[in-house]
Amino acid sequence: MGTIRVVLGDDHTLVRQGLKALLESASIRVERESGDGRDLVRAVRAVRPDIAVVDVSMPLLNGLEATRRIRQISPETRVLILSMYPDPGYVTRARRLGAKGYVLKDEAPAQLIEAVKAVAAGGEYFTLAAAPAQENPLTPREREVLQLVAEGKKNAEIAEVMMRSLHTVRNHRARLMRKLGAHNAADLVQAAEALGLVRLAPPREVDDGA
Amino acid sequence: MDPLRLAIADDHALVREGLTRLLAGTEGIEVVAVVGDAASAAACLAEARPDVLLLDLSMPGTDGLSAIPHLREACPATRILVLSMYDEAEIAAEAIERGACGLISKASCADALVEAIRRVARGERLPVGPLLSPREREVLSLIGEGLGGDRIAARLGLSEKTVAHHRERLMEKLDIHTQAGLVAYARRSGLCRAD
Repeated sequence: MGTIRVVLGDDHTLVRQGLKALLESASIRVERESGDGRDLVRAVRAVRPDIAVVDVSMPLLNGLEATRRIRQISPETRVLILSMYPDPGYVTRARRLGAKGYVLKDEAPAQLIEAVKAVAAGGEYFTLAAAPAQENPLTPREREVLQLVAEGKKNAEIAEVMMRSLHTVRNHRARLMRKLGAHNAADLVQAAEALGLVRLAPPREVDDGA
Repeated sequence: MDPLRLAIADDHALVREGLTRLLAGTEGIEVVAVVGDAASAAACLAEARPDVLLLDLSMPGTDGLSAIPHLREACPATRILVLSMYDEAEIAAEAIERGACGLISKASCADALVEAIRRVARGERLPVGPLLSPREREVLSLIGEGLGGDRIAARLGLSEKTVAHHRERLMEKLDIHTQAGLVAYARRSGLCRAD
């Protein structure tokens, strides 16, 4: 087997550059890097790598939705998900969307290398047992809109990013608010966080000394 | 000139390895210790006495910020550069208040990290973004909790017009232009009470 060609997606530049250095030390070639999910999909379409290493939480389009797109536009590319969180629900969804691997950032660097090699050879590499499938009330488009709302984008900006009309975006937004029982922006952000669409710091304990 | 001696504390093995490799090739910087939690960081400081400690804020089991004073005590000569997932000015200011020399976000590139490490080693304090006034923080925290302008006004004893003005100022200062954006910022900065 020739050199394994990878496209790498993670919005933490430092982490991404570190992962690149790690992969290249194992003679794995990182052809492109991306800091958001949409750019990642474009990069995969352009270079058609053997493997896409995809962080779950990326802005504009999270890793799981990006996996769905990647499987559609470049079926020969195998997707390996990278995550900070050991969430069995994510693993189930990742599998269902066609990912061939799931590795935690907490695991030894050697695991990532092993995972890339295993998946490139046609196998799978899941480090967590998958949870039973859960009900998810939102459609993929609704989840996209919710993520972009929680990232602070105006409806017009969302329409531009998604290449849809403003009217369509408003409809999605109204529908997802109804489905989630959300009444205001704070409810939406909380829902986005709960669904893992955005990553926010956990609320801190109130500090008496503050 | 002796190389700058750096210690790294981050709870994710892949991130530790990645950062170590990134910095390994950098001229003038030597990674002398790598640890995975705050307790090991304190022990490591006392022993290895690095010039700079790169400290990840989001290590589980410790509120990273509250670990800073203990680490300063373990080795006062070590300058602490906090590594964070976010670069909100409030968090940076609090880190500095507790004894760090600055904060750099994981969204920065390797060159920016090296620059920050060198500056901190020279004894500089890294600049912090625009800070909010106490009143602006109050309004933002209530926005983060989901209160509308009328309830915020009632809670703080202000007119709705004044609250609207504060909200406008917040959006300008933070370069955020939607309600949801303000809510997310409030939650990221730790301004909202735990649910």
